[in-house]
Amino acid sequence: MFEELLEDVAQTNGLREVNTWLKLAAGIGAIVLCLLSTGYAAPLLIAIILSFAILILGRVDIRTYAELFIVPLYFALMSAAVIVLISGGEHTLWSWNPLPFLPLSLSRESINTGFFVFCRVAGGMSALLFIALTTPMTDLFVVMRNLRIPDFVIDLAMIIYRTIFFLIDQVRQIHGAQVMRLGYSGWRESITTFSVMCGAAFIAAWDAGDDLVRAMDARCYDGKFALLGENRPVEIQPLCALVLFLATGAAVVTATHGMTLLQVTP
Amino acid sequence: MHIMEGFLPWQWCIVWWLIAIPCLALGVWQLKKIIHADREALPLLGVTGGFIFILSSLKLPSVTGSCSHPTGTGLSAICFGPWITSVICAIVLLFQSLFLAHGGLSVLGANIVSMGIVGPVIGYAVYRLLKNTSVNIYLTVFLATALADMFTYATTSLELALAYPAEVGGFGTSFILFMGIFAVTQVPLAIVEGIVLALVFKYIIALKPDILIRLKIFSEAQITTARGDA
Repeated sequence: MFEELLEDVAQTNGLREVNTWLKLAAGIGAIVLCLLSTGYAAPLLIAIILSFAILILGRVDIRTYAELFIVPLYFALMSAAVIVLISGGEHTLWSWNPLPFLPLSLSRESINTGFFVFCRVAGGMSALLFIALTTPMTDLFVVMRNLRIPDFVIDLAMIIYRTIFFLIDQVRQIHGAQVMRLGYSGWRESITTFSVMCGAAFIAAWDAGDDLVRAMDARCYDGKFALLGENRPVEIQPLCALVLFLATGAAVVTATHGMTLLQVTP
Repeated sequence: MHIMEGFLPWQWCIVWWLIAIPCLALGVWQLKKIIHADREALPLLGVTGGFIFILSSLKLPSVTGSCSHPTGTGLSAICFGPWITSVICAIVLLFQSLFLAHGGLSVLGANIVSMGIVGPVIGYAVYRLLKNTSVNIYLTVFLATALADMFTYATTSLELALAYPAEVGGFGTSFILFMGIFAVTQVPLAIVEGIVLALVFKYIIALKPDILIRLKIFSEAQITTARGDA
C-alpha cells in the first residue's frame, strides 16, 4: 500500500509548476459542483475531464492512475449496491424479505439513486486525485500558512509528515526481518510480532522526533519552521482553462438538474 | 471507516463540519497550551499522528461506502485527551486523503467526528474511569483503545444511516444494516487493536516511562507496579 504514496507522483507530475491556488480551485471547485449536482451527468463529465487532465496534462502513468481509481470505485460500486437494495421506490422490479425488519428491493428509483451516488463518488474521487497527484504536500503547507492556520498546527503537521515517512521505513525494515524469521507463521505469533513491530517503530520514531527537536533547538528554532514558499505566478493559460472548466461544469450541473438513468413516470 | 469523497450529500457534509469545528478549536487551544508548557511533548504528538496514519491505512474492504481498519486513536486520547487527538486526526485524515486517496475533503468533517472525536472521547472516558481504580494499566489501555475503535465504527454507521435511511424502517433499519456489515470485520479488529496497543504501551512503559509520568497519564506508583508486572 505504501509503495503508491501519491506524494511521489505529485513531486514529478506535469502540472507541478502551475500555481497551487489554481490547482486547488479546480479540485475543490469540482468537488463542490459534484455535491451540488442532482443529476448523474455532471459528476460523470467532471470525472472524465479531470482524468484526462491528470493523464495528459499531468503526464501521470495510466496504470498508476487506474490502480488508484479502481479501489475507491470498487468501494463505490458495493456501497451503491447497498443503497439500491434499501432505498425502495414505487416502480419495484424485484423484492425479497430475508428478515422481518429488513426488506430488500430493486426499483427504478433505487437504481437511479445508486447510479447517481456512484457517479458522484467517481467525480469526487477524480477531483481528490487531481489535487493529490498534482500538488505536493510541501506546497500545501505554504497554502496553510497563507490561510493563517496557527504556526504550531502547521509545525505539528510537518512533524507528522516527516514521522510518516520515518515510520514507513521502519515498518518495512522490521516487517521484512520478522517475515524472514517466521514471525507471522501463526495467529498468536502474528499478534505478538505485529505488536513488537508497532512498539519498536513507535519508540524509534519517538527517538527520531526527539533528535529532530534537539537539532532544531541547536539551530535557534523558536517555535516556527521556516517555510520557503515558491511563489509561482498565475499564468493566463491555466487560468483560462480553470474558468472554462468551472463554467462548463456549472452549466452542465444546471442543465442536467434531476437527470436520471432510468425514466420514472409518475 | 473513512467515508469516501462524494458519498455524503452536501447537507450532511456541512452538518458534520459544524460539529467538528468547535471540537477542533478547543483542541487547537489545548495544543497551544501543551506545546508551550512542555516542548518535549512535540515529538510524541508527531509520532502518535504518524502512528494513527500507519494503523488506519491498513484497510480491509467493507460494503458500506467505507472500509475497516484499526484506528490507533485510543493511544493518543490516553496521552493527550480527546480534543488534541481531534486535531491530530484532522491532520492525519487530510494526509490520508492526499497521500492515499483514502477518505476525502468534503467528508473530512464526518470522518473527523467519527475517528477524531467520538472514538477518542469514549476511549478517554474509559481511561479516566479506570485510571484510579485497581484495574491493571494494560487492561485499561486495552478497553480504552478497543472501545474507541468500536465507537468510531458505530458513529460511521450513524453518519451513513442518517444520509441514506431505508425506505422501510428508515434510519433504524439502515443503522442496523450498516452496523451489522461493519461488525463482521470490526469486532475482531477492535479486539486485536486493543491487544496490540496494550502491548505497545507495555513497550513504552519498559523503555520510556518518564514522559507518561510527566504528562500525568499514570502515576509513578502505577508505572512502577506495571513494570513489576511486566
